[in-house]
Amino acid sequence: MSLSLATPQPAEETAQPGETSPESSLPVKVQIKNVGFRYGKFEALKGISLPLRDRRVTAFIGPSGCGKSTLLRILNRIYELYPNQTASGEVLVDGVNILSPGHDLNLVRSKIGMVFQKPTPFPMSIHDNIAFGIKLYERLPKSELDDRVESALRRAALWDEVKDKLRQSGLGLSGGQQQRLCIARAIAVEPEILLLDEPASALDPISTQRIEELIAELKSDYCIAIVTHNMQQAARSSDYTAFMYLGELIEFDVTERIFTAPRVKRTEDYITGRFG
Amino acid sequence: MMQLYTRRRVTNYLVVALSLGATAFGLLFLFFVLGTLLANGIGALGPTLFTQATPPPGSTGGLINAICGSLAMTFIATIVGTPTGILAGTFLAEYAHGKRLGEFVRFVNDILLSAPSIIIGLFVYAILVVPMGHFSAWAGSAALAIIMIPVIVRTTEDMLNLVPNTLREAAAALGAPKWKIIVLVTYRSAVQGMLTGVLLAIARISGETAPLLFTALNNQFWSTDLNAPMANLPVVIFQFAMSPYADWQALAWAGALLITVTILVLNIGARILGSWSGLAK
Amino acid sequence: MAAEVDRIAIPETAARRRPAGGAGDTIFHGLTALFALLVLVILGGVLVSLLYGALPALEKFGFGFVFNGAWNPVTENFGALAPIYGTLVTSLIAMLIGIPVAFGVALFITELCPKWLKRPLGTMIELLAAIPSIIYGIWGLFVLAPFIQEYVEPALIGTLGKIPGFGLLFAGPPLGIGVLTAGFILAIMVLPFIAAVMRDVFETVPPMLKESAYGIGATTTEVVWQVVLPYTRIGVVGGILLGLGRALGETMAVTFVIGNSHHIHASILQPGTTISAALANEFTEAVGDLYQSSLIALGFILFVITCVVLAAAKLMLLRLQKGAGASA
Repeated sequence: MSLSLATPQPAEETAQPGETSPESSLPVKVQIKNVGFRYGKFEALKGISLPLRDRRVTAFIGPSGCGKSTLLRILNRIYELYPNQTASGEVLVDGVNILSPGHDLNLVRSKIGMVFQKPTPFPMSIHDNIAFGIKLYERLPKSELDDRVESALRRAALWDEVKDKLRQSGLGLSGGQQQRLCIARAIAVEPEILLLDEPASALDPISTQRIEELIAELKSDYCIAIVTHNMQQAARSSDYTAFMYLGELIEFDVTERIFTAPRVKRTEDYITGRFG
Repeated sequence: MMQLYTRRRVTNYLVVALSLGATAFGLLFLFFVLGTLLANGIGALGPTLFTQATPPPGSTGGLINAICGSLAMTFIATIVGTPTGILAGTFLAEYAHGKRLGEFVRFVNDILLSAPSIIIGLFVYAILVVPMGHFSAWAGSAALAIIMIPVIVRTTEDMLNLVPNTLREAAAALGAPKWKIIVLVTYRSAVQGMLTGVLLAIARISGETAPLLFTALNNQFWSTDLNAPMANLPVVIFQFAMSPYADWQALAWAGALLITVTILVLNIGARILGSWSGLAK
Repeated sequence: MAAEVDRIAIPETAARRRPAGGAGDTIFHGLTALFALLVLVILGGVLVSLLYGALPALEKFGFGFVFNGAWNPVTENFGALAPIYGTLVTSLIAMLIGIPVAFGVALFITELCPKWLKRPLGTMIELLAAIPSIIYGIWGLFVLAPFIQEYVEPALIGTLGKIPGFGLLFAGPPLGIGVLTAGFILAIMVLPFIAAVMRDVFETVPPMLKESAYGIGATTTEVVWQVVLPYTRIGVVGGILLGLGRALGETMAVTFVIGNSHHIHASILQPGTTISAALANEFTEAVGDLYQSSLIALGFILFVITCVVLAAAKLMLLRLQKGAGASA
């Protein structure tokens, strides 16, 4: 019954929600504290608390509608684009609560990159897609801008495939390439945290594999949170896993432990496919 | 049972035949009008049409002053009306979407869209011609702009609403402020559709006569004074066609042909542009 | 708070960062709101300026203006009855002819037409709508009116004109120009609008609904009459009202062929006038404040009528959208 395991982590105590282990050598980049969310009258999230560790991948799994995407969208406050949606609680990024008013929202978002389920290249050339984010914040000479674009595309494992067609429209790429373009676009602004909302769910298996390989590489530079409905993907790619159900955090642990010896029955039921 | 069935079949054939007839009726008149236009207008086409100004009754001439006057006023109306319409449409799609204010403005816009154009002419007469004390090309352009604006507002709003929200979210996630999202991403995504709307609006005002009747009036001579009555094709056609002079009537047909060709070209151009943007997706 | 977020960021590039621009948002928002407001101001302005211009006439004649059949610039006795009558009758004729034809066209395009023909056909019908009013006018004057004078009107006088009572509608010498011709041209002009709305509305019917009707052996006519029309009736009414609004306000085509006579005749073969035709013909030559004011009063009446009709059309179409959304 054990699913494929992520590489075993150095011995460290599992973090219980809200606690950081004294033996943990990895700093907590984002501490989610008692976060709730409601749109209209509906309470979508209740009392979520967990840490996202730097240079590690934290996966969020759970059945449809459990609130995992909602939680992700709180982390970069993208929900504020829509009316009638309010979040409560605290999200501490390097100790600073970004949910409190008074932050330049755009600067917050520049630290936290997001990649969406469906690839969304802008209707511009590949070069301009990447440059778009950079130009929001920095005024660079052309050569330096081109270097940054190249660097982002390399890190997203897309450079070799597009280096000759940088001036062509991003819409002309395949689905998998478009998604890597979106990842390159997100990392071009040099965030510290990457939020991936089911990044491979719209892609074929080969593209999915490449995205997963990419995530494994990117892990060494960013704190990554990934939402996925594909349990095997979570088991393969992540270091920590959070299982959510109906807006609540049911269990949070090192991935290996979640998938081999979950503590909560409901987690076990989900993982073994008794519901889903 | 069979009697009922036969009756149903017969009714069906009848209705089908009638609807075919109705379609043929519509097409018949389309070709009838265009055909007559071609037949009567072709004869008066010639280089003098574009080199000479409108003549006094009984002599030959051209339409160059009317053509240029129409071009000038259409141009000014487009320059004024397009940004106005686009910005107002942007407000409806990006800032007032789903809100009551937005619905109200859209409602008013749609009424303006279908309002009789002669009423617009009366309005501009009251607010521009009377205070200025005379007719002018400015007033004519203003009337045309007012007719153009609701069309562009409508098409801009519709096109912007078609842009998927995920695109806006992707730009917002990078930290772009709202106005940059709209101008740099959303507009770019909708540009073909918006351009189509502008072309259709230009086509619409190209043939409008009534609003020019009390604003730009008409001018028998070549004139570049925007502050004075200016010749324009539609009013010239009106005047010449209703007259008893054969020369004038011939010129009226030629002018009508010019306007119709322009409008058809703009319409077909807009359609081609529209289908391109459909293919690109 | 913003400064703290900046300090914590590690890469050197962060030091070069500037905020992405908040003033831009307020300016842009204000700009778009301003121009949206302009739309409201224009409509309000039209209403106010028309009312203001019509005031002298309305004060002089009062409500009786609407029922006064006279129109005499010399004695300065003006009444709106003839133009209003002409506007309503020509529009009525346009609807009587235009609605069934538009329905036939919409039926053909949506149910009977082969797939490859749908788009070109739709385009051609829409081109009918793109042809400007003045073109219809000049064509009407030189082509349609003589034709009607030579063939159609004598036929009508000879047949329908002989029926007692009803025949009064078709009395009088065949002139070619007149209320009937104007109504006929209006029908051709409004039918593409009504047909386009009907077609759009017919196509919102879920295919499954139609297929279940076809599946039990219903004929095309029955499917359209008993399934499609009831489903879309609100939208159809909205489209008809839209066409009516158009017909009421049409100016140039009507001006060319209506004959411009401020008299009310029972016969539709006689000349008459409409509000917009009267304006087009007389406004620039109207001497005297009362004359001009009476014409503006006519314009005001027309504006009110078309506003009401268009508002009703919009409300119907809105309800259809909401209904379709709810049932979708």
